[in-house]
This record gives sequence, C-alpha cells and structure tokens, in this order.
Amino acid sequence: MPALLDLDEHIRRLARPEALPGGGECLMLSMEATLELARSLGRSRTKHLPLARVELAALNLGIAPERYLRNFSTYSYAEQARLLSSRLALVGLGGLGGLVLELLARAGVGQISAADGDEFAPSNLNRQFLCTRRSICGYKAAAAAARVALVNPAVAFEPVAVFLDEELMGRFLTGAELAVDALGGLNDRPALLRQAAAAGIPLVTAAVAGQAGFVATVLPGAKGPADFFGAGGEAAENTLGTPAPAVATAAAIMAAEAINILAGRKPGLAGAMLVFDLETMSFERVSL
Amino acid sequence: MHVALKCFATLSRFTPADAEAFAVTPGETAGGLAERLGIPMADLKLVFVNGEHVELNAQLKDGDRVGLFPAVGGG
Repeated sequence: MPALLDLDEHIRRLARPEALPGGGECLMLSMEATLELARSLGRSRTKHLPLARVELAALNLGIAPERYLRNFSTYSYAEQARLLSSRLALVGLGGLGGLVLELLARAGVGQISAADGDEFAPSNLNRQFLCTRRSICGYKAAAAAARVALVNPAVAFEPVAVFLDEELMGRFLTGAELAVDALGGLNDRPALLRQAAAAGIPLVTAAVAGQAGFVATVLPGAKGPADFFGAGGEAAENTLGTPAPAVATAAAIMAAEAINILAGRKPGLAGAMLVFDLETMSFERVSL
Repeated sequence: MHVALKCFATLSRFTPADAEAFAVTPGETAGGLAERLGIPMADLKLVFVNGEHVELNAQLKDGDRVGLFPAVGGG
C-alpha cells in the first residue's frame, strides 16, 4: 500500500499522454489505474471515498481522470476537483430527482444525500428513470443507491428513505452547499424553500405540467416560485400529467445549474425562472 | 394596441385565436386581461410582462409580451 505522500508519485508514474479529439494532448489517468490506486489506499477518515481521493489528487496534478475526459474543457480541472469536493442535498427521487442524480453522479459531484420515502408504482414508469420492471414496488432511495454505485463509485451517496417534514428538511440540509428541490406536487415545496434559506444555501427548483415547466434558482432569502404557487392548491399537473420529455428537460437544466453552482460559478438562474413549453418549443427566461 | 399572449399549462385552454397580436384597451391591466379571457383568478399565480414578474394591476403597453402561469408542481 503506498503511503499517502506517495500517491502523487504513483499517479504521475501511471499517467499517460492522451490525444484529444480537438488536437493536442493531455495527461490522463486511466480508469483502471484510478481503481487500482483506490484499492491500494483503502478507507480513511476523510470525507472522500478512496476513488474520489485518487481522482482529486490527479486533478490537482493537472492529470485528467479518464472518466471525466469529455467534461473538459467545459469544466476546468479546478472546477472538476471542486465538484468532487462538493456536497449536495437532493430532495425527491422521482422523475426530476432520478435524472438529476444520474447527471450529477456522472459529473462527479463527490457527496450526494438524497431523500425520498416513496416506493415506485407502475404510473412512475412513464418518466422516472430509476423505475424499471426490476425496481418497481421497491424504495426509490434504494434504486438510487444501486444506480449511483453502478454509474460512479467515486460518489459518496447517502440514501434516505424517509418523507422529510420541515424539521427533518432542516437537518437534512445541514452541511450541504446546495439544495435541489425535486419534489412532486405543491405541498412540501414552501417548507424546503424556507429551510434552504435558513441553512443559507441556494435552492435549485423545478416543476412540470404537461409539456410546460420551469427551472429556477432561489438564493437565500429571495422569493421563489413556491412563494407564488403556495401549498395545498390545485396544481396543473393533476390535469395535464407529467410526460417524460418535459420532466427530462427540466431535470437536465437543473443539473446544469447545480453544476454551475457547485463548481463555483455564478448561478445562471438566480432570481429568475427559465420557463419552457415543448409543444411550441419556446424557452423564456423571466425574473421573479 | 396589441400584446403577444402566452398562456401556460392548464391556462392554455384560455388562449384566444389571435394570441400573438391580441387587442387590449389603453389602460387595461394584466389582471383585467386575464379576467376578460375567463381565467379564474384563483388559478393565475404568476404574470410576466416582457420577461419580468408583475402584479395583476400592471398596465399593459402596446407590444408587450404577456405570460400567464398557473401553479405547477409536477416532478
């Protein structure tokens, strides 16, 4: 087992030049070498899993872990490292949450806690990526954990198979840099908005009804869509449903915005909503 | 004078045929327009004019782009 101080040296020794499709080359640590080094490290008391520690060390040396190669240069090595060190709290693992989780795990967000007390039902199959013939009737949080382990084992994933009330939301958000509201319905969203503000962290929120939907970022103390929609009223999706393309569109925009924030960039939708309608293929950014 | 009108989600059924150039009277407010379209006020949660959120009493101008949004919560 290499001593911790040797890790950099091992990474340098195992790194190989890799030709980039756009010309030029970079130093790359293959997935195989990354896994091998992680195995030799074993568990430690740091918050990162061994795999993430190797990936972080490589990035700090200007060496690209192979699995993130096609993220560059959209995200810089420093931003990729920041993502690996970041911590996200995701509330809801249905249509929005399942896909947000997939995208953020692939992006290499290092620590993700996700809460949903629900179990999959047949009516989830139209849009919820984590819902399959195999996972149906099981906990959404369990399917999420299995998926993250398959997609990116560098992610320290904490599944919470509980419906959070407002008090639990507050505890759930502790230590996170960003909250993502992937809840369904109107009822629980105002509480999450309040708790994100209380925790002093931004909230990325979205909702869909039929072919229309929105994504918004709410900075602590600012007004969010939930302030206008309220809780307990009639919601448009009860009539129009939630078809997959609109849900996936919203989830992809949420993930892009979450990466903006976790990578240390300016949020693109702070105080604003991106409103879309896939029937007329219109997108408009509006300020709240 | 005319506005370009977009009614989202469940409000789309109130969209008039000439929504892209919908005639409004001078001094007409966003709320007045919604009422004239038959939209129940309880269902109208957000009004946008030219990309900015406005109150129901905001007066409309010629060429405004008006968006009307109900409560949306699906995920």
